[in-house]
Amino acid sequence: MISDKILKSIKNIPAFPAAAMKVMALIDDPNYSITDVADVVKYDQAITANILRICNSAYFGLRHKIVTINDAVMRLGQQNIVRAVQAAGVSTFYRKAKGYGLEANKLWEHSVGVALMTQILSKRIFKREDARLYTTALLHDIGKIIMGEFVDESFPQIHDLVSREGISFLDAEEKIIGINHADLGGRIASQWNFPKAMTDAIIYHHRPDLMQDEDNSGAWLVYLADQACIMMGIGLGSDGLAYKGLSEVIIKFKLRQKDFEECIMLMLEDLDRAREVIGMV
Amino acid sequence: MSEIIVGISDFKVSNNINDILITYALGSCVGVTIYDPVVKVGGLLHFMLPESSLDMRKAGENPAMFADTGIPFLFKTCYELGAKKKRMIVKVAGGASILDDANFFRIGQKNVTAMKKLFWKNNVLIEGEDTGSNCNRTFSIHISTGQAFVRTAHNGTRELV
Ligand SMILES: [Fe+2]
Ligand SMILES: [Fe+2]
Repeated sequence: MISDKILKSIKNIPAFPAAAMKVMALIDDPNYSITDVADVVKYDQAITANILRICNSAYFGLRHKIVTINDAVMRLGQQNIVRAVQAAGVSTFYRKAKGYGLEANKLWEHSVGVALMTQILSKRIFKREDARLYTTALLHDIGKIIMGEFVDESFPQIHDLVSREGISFLDAEEKIIGINHADLGGRIASQWNFPKAMTDAIIYHHRPDLMQDEDNSGAWLVYLADQACIMMGIGLGSDGLAYKGLSEVIIKFKLRQKDFEECIMLMLEDLDRAREVIGMV
Repeated sequence: MSEIIVGISDFKVSNNINDILITYALGSCVGVTIYDPVVKVGGLLHFMLPESSLDMRKAGENPAMFADTGIPFLFKTCYELGAKKKRMIVKVAGGASILDDANFFRIGQKNVTAMKKLFWKNNVLIEGEDTGSNCNRTFSIHISTGQAFVRTAHNGTRELV
């Protein structure tokens, strides 16, 4: 039984930014051009402002101030512009995120860390980046923005269940509150009409082994990237590390411990450079 | 009192009795505090992986990343402020793991093991320890007294003794 309050909260979530949605569809076409992206984005003021901010940040170290979206797009390059659009579109949902004992913007930092890690893992395993996966990863814990206050209220009971019965935080959320943050995130994604692969990756981000679709390797990558950030303490909340470890992920991706640790080091470097993106929230 | 934040793969030392060294969100990473009560010199290290052999170049740039380079570096930096090895009080926290930890993910245990091996080889006793489990820890040391504190969501703040 899910409380009415939670279901009502989902209904109050604003629509996913149309520009970010269009860019997602655009990049599915392998022949998309970077000016197409600029054309879509320029009608969204919030996203445009954020992109200009990223462009003019110390990281890019440009000598001249960038003031138009077309300049920004040329300067950032294909990969950066798509990431920036998605981050700018998604970040607004995390602005008021609280709960899980986290300070403001920590859940966003976690999301960016997981998103960066999915790209590093995807490059190592599949020799390519995956912009759609990047967006999915940015949103994997979106359910937490609503669950936050409920989890904080019920934390003693949830924690008690975790330590007494040795179940995961996810299962304890479901027992005490009636739904877990992954399923809740899935409901939000459906409300936004996300494609099934993305919605599934959000729903199953702690339990990809329960997913019916065995070809959805993106969900496994989000899972693995999330575990890495949890272990490294990036945006780690009161739920701690109380999530299920699935050793089959190693076999699935033929990863060695060394690969995993190297990817973690790369992710922390990228995260250091992504300070402007993290500062958007 | 001023809080000095120690990030991930980072360490700080101090001989200012107004300082509190603190590190947030230890997951599988390990925090090490050392303290010489005679000269009131202390340090806090937050290392993330067990062995520098993974990437010697990175270890050279930032020794605090690994147990086997970070811990000696922490001690050496405190010696420069007048601390002596035989007087050092060592406390450790962190090294948590996810549930049903698979081989692959045993970074928490490996971190703790690497650290203990190093202390054991160098005849250094650990006087306070809160490691393992699956919780998120915040770890701090007061330079005025050498007291170390661990904070978790379920237990609040407790002195590590
Ligand atoms: Fe999650
Ligand atoms: Fe997560």
